[in-house]
Amino acid sequence: MDTASLQFVAFGLIVVLISNISRSSKWRSIVLMSASIVILSVLARNPLDLLPLAGFLLLGYVGLVLLERGQSRSLVWSILAVIFAYVWLKKYTFLPEGIFINHPYFTLGLSYIFFRILHLLIETGDGNEKRHIGPGAYLLYTLNFTTLVSGPIQRYDEFARDQFAGEPIPLGPRVVGAQLERIIRGFFKVNVLAVLLHLLQEDALAQMYRPFPLSLRLMAAVRLVVVYPFFLYSNFSGYIDIVIALARLMRVRLPENFNRPFSASSVLEFWNQWHITLSNWLKSYVYNPLLLALMRRIPSLAVQPFLGVFCFFVTFFLIGVWHGRTSEFIFFGLLTGGGMSVNKLWQLGLTRVLGRKAYRELAKNPAYEAFGRGLNFVWFAFTLFWFWGSWKQIDAVFSALGVAQWLGVWLSVWLSATVVLASWEWLRAALLSIKTSEGPLLASRYALVVYATALGLVTLVMTGLFNQPAPTIVYKAF
Amino acid sequence: MTESNTGNRENLKEAKLPWRDWILLPALSLLTIGLIVASTDLIHRRMFASLYGAVEDCLVFNDPSTGARGIPNSVCREKMPEGEVTEYRFNNCGYRTDGECGSKRPGVYRIVMIGGSYAMGARVPNEKTFAALLPAELSARARRNVEVYNEGMPWRPPHVFALHFNEVLAAKPDMILWIIVPSDIWSPLWQLPRPEPAAQHLSAYRQVRRFLGGAWIGVNEELYSRCGILFRHFLYESQSQTITSYLAQKPDAPYSLKIHGPEFMKAEPSAEWQGHLTDFDGDVAEIVDRAMAAGVPLVATLLPERAQAAMISRGEWPAGFDPYKLDNELRSMIVSRGGTYVDILPAFRNIPNSEQGFFALEGHPNAQGHAMISTLLAAELTNGPAPAIGVTAPHNSVLEQGR
Repeated sequence: MDTASLQFVAFGLIVVLISNISRSSKWRSIVLMSASIVILSVLARNPLDLLPLAGFLLLGYVGLVLLERGQSRSLVWSILAVIFAYVWLKKYTFLPEGIFINHPYFTLGLSYIFFRILHLLIETGDGNEKRHIGPGAYLLYTLNFTTLVSGPIQRYDEFARDQFAGEPIPLGPRVVGAQLERIIRGFFKVNVLAVLLHLLQEDALAQMYRPFPLSLRLMAAVRLVVVYPFFLYSNFSGYIDIVIALARLMRVRLPENFNRPFSASSVLEFWNQWHITLSNWLKSYVYNPLLLALMRRIPSLAVQPFLGVFCFFVTFFLIGVWHGRTSEFIFFGLLTGGGMSVNKLWQLGLTRVLGRKAYRELAKNPAYEAFGRGLNFVWFAFTLFWFWGSWKQIDAVFSALGVAQWLGVWLSVWLSATVVLASWEWLRAALLSIKTSEGPLLASRYALVVYATALGLVTLVMTGLFNQPAPTIVYKAF
Repeated sequence: MTESNTGNRENLKEAKLPWRDWILLPALSLLTIGLIVASTDLIHRRMFASLYGAVEDCLVFNDPSTGARGIPNSVCREKMPEGEVTEYRFNNCGYRTDGECGSKRPGVYRIVMIGGSYAMGARVPNEKTFAALLPAELSARARRNVEVYNEGMPWRPPHVFALHFNEVLAAKPDMILWIIVPSDIWSPLWQLPRPEPAAQHLSAYRQVRRFLGGAWIGVNEELYSRCGILFRHFLYESQSQTITSYLAQKPDAPYSLKIHGPEFMKAEPSAEWQGHLTDFDGDVAEIVDRAMAAGVPLVATLLPERAQAAMISRGEWPAGFDPYKLDNELRSMIVSRGGTYVDILPAFRNIPNSEQGFFALEGHPNAQGHAMISTLLAAELTNGPAPAIGVTAPHNSVLEQGR
């Protein structure tokens, strides 16, 4: 049962039905725990493979108990121990090879469990929220099958509010319909759209390596640049759509992870709309504490804006590094952090030159927004080369064209993305302006039924025709 | 339509769904399905119409003494879903070729081409087949008059060529060109076409089931279901999908897929395939011996399957497969018997998306593919195998880059 497969969705829907037999939080928790155990046992080939994960969870829980008992000095040690255990289990290459466990073991979802445990430790250690988390609630939260594999990263208080509520959140036909539509949409994104985009990318990549005429290689380069961001979006956001909808049908609201990221007109804005829960987590637990600490040490008002730039760099460098253990991801982190910092510096510079009011007006200018949107897209596409490729692949791809030709490719993608994305924004706004008494016509339940039926039918047909499984969820590997 | 996770619980209370929606929404869903089915059918009818019948109407299958043969002086027309309207005009000897049989103009270098449906130019108008294009290309390269007399015949397995070898020699060839395709090796398994059963009326339910079923079960007996054709045609524009789908074929695939399947590219093929290859070696021996006995040079070549062309064009293929494997095996078979083998597969490496020279679903070369094959064959045939049509100056061969 791979994630986002038909079996996974069918399993999720069965769990939804069982979970809704009773409104009691105890019953819903038993069902969620059982479902999570089933998923873990299906995904792990051998129960013994789960032992390192069990140890990791135990380590986190011991730290949590110590903090709940008021031993606040154990906070730093607990966090360091959990970070070390994570790095060790993920076999980061900077650790000596000899200390790793040689027996294969289960690490799926470990990154996301790591974020949840750190969140619990930090919040409990801060003493802001006085609460007791029992072992059952801890396991339910960390192993919740709807967020296990690739997030979204939910805060404990949000999870507990819905999961343990005496009176669960309502679930009427409108919500059920909307969630079913979202499952179909997500399934379509992962199993049809992402597959088609993946095919396009593979074909373009193969053409780049061949001694074909320049015009073909230029076209292949453009396809290679453009396709991957959309593939990654379809692949990841499709999965997130499915799990958010399944969780909602189980009367738990998961946080949104995407908010139309390609509509962002700057890199700073983009990371507020892409993998939102990861960005927020890092802002809460890296950016803010780091900025506060630096501001305490360097109180100069003139320097403070640049401290923010530095903190952005560190935070988003860590996002890049989190994605993988190889040097490609370190470079991806440098580019991501660098992009954020340069964008922030650009904002600061323009504000200084134009003044705050004039800068705000400029930022609202549709042409400025459109070019910014195009530039953000092309920058993201560029950084993703180090996300999907190895150094060898990247070298081969960049060697296929000369510097001037590559500049032409990036420039044409920027301009095309500017026009296409602006047209899309305009079209979307125009379509949503057609309203009924209940809101935009295209967001009405009637439109959604048509939309979901069409997507469902196309998905049914296409998954049969592909004759191959959809690419696995990319973020599952992290 | 997503709810905010920070929202107030009170906001989550939803208004009751009006009663009419319990009927209206399912009806909308059904209407959507109906519209998609109808529009797919309409698009299919417009783009992939199948008309007139088939080439098989001009062939005789039920004569064991001859195997498949063309009906002399017959004309058939077909329009298969992916192709254009194609006319098959058979001459007085039952072959789809220009000119009457037996006649040969003086001073002309005549190549008699034998093989199956690829050689005959199935699904492509005669003037666009490589059999029709090759004479002009060869004549221009060799600077002499070259003609091709096409005795290619679908459903004619190699061992049946021997039954017709007198017809080959009667055409007074200066060279015999044997077009081999991978499915020839499976020829003992071939099932000759049977008359189509009378069209039966299908209920609306069965039509919908057939429509969905054809797409859902993928490549199987429902290969030609409308929905399947429409979607698969566009899907197979992708080189990756072409290769993946082709190689994913299971060993127990239906007959029609098995004989066009990837067994011939497997590094470790089945015993069944090896047995057929050994039998084919026997056919090669007989055909080459008869040509040599008649003093006519025999030149053989292998034309690729669509996915094989894609793999060569791409320059990479999954482990356990080798698109050149059969090519190498045939070369040693033919050469060891005294024949000549021309190798055009490596040239597909230099052709971007060479699989687009084949019908995406049906598999035969299309007009673009025939033109491609003609150029490649002309380059190879004038590059050594027959001194009479060889070129003295080095030509700018598309084959010059190796594998």
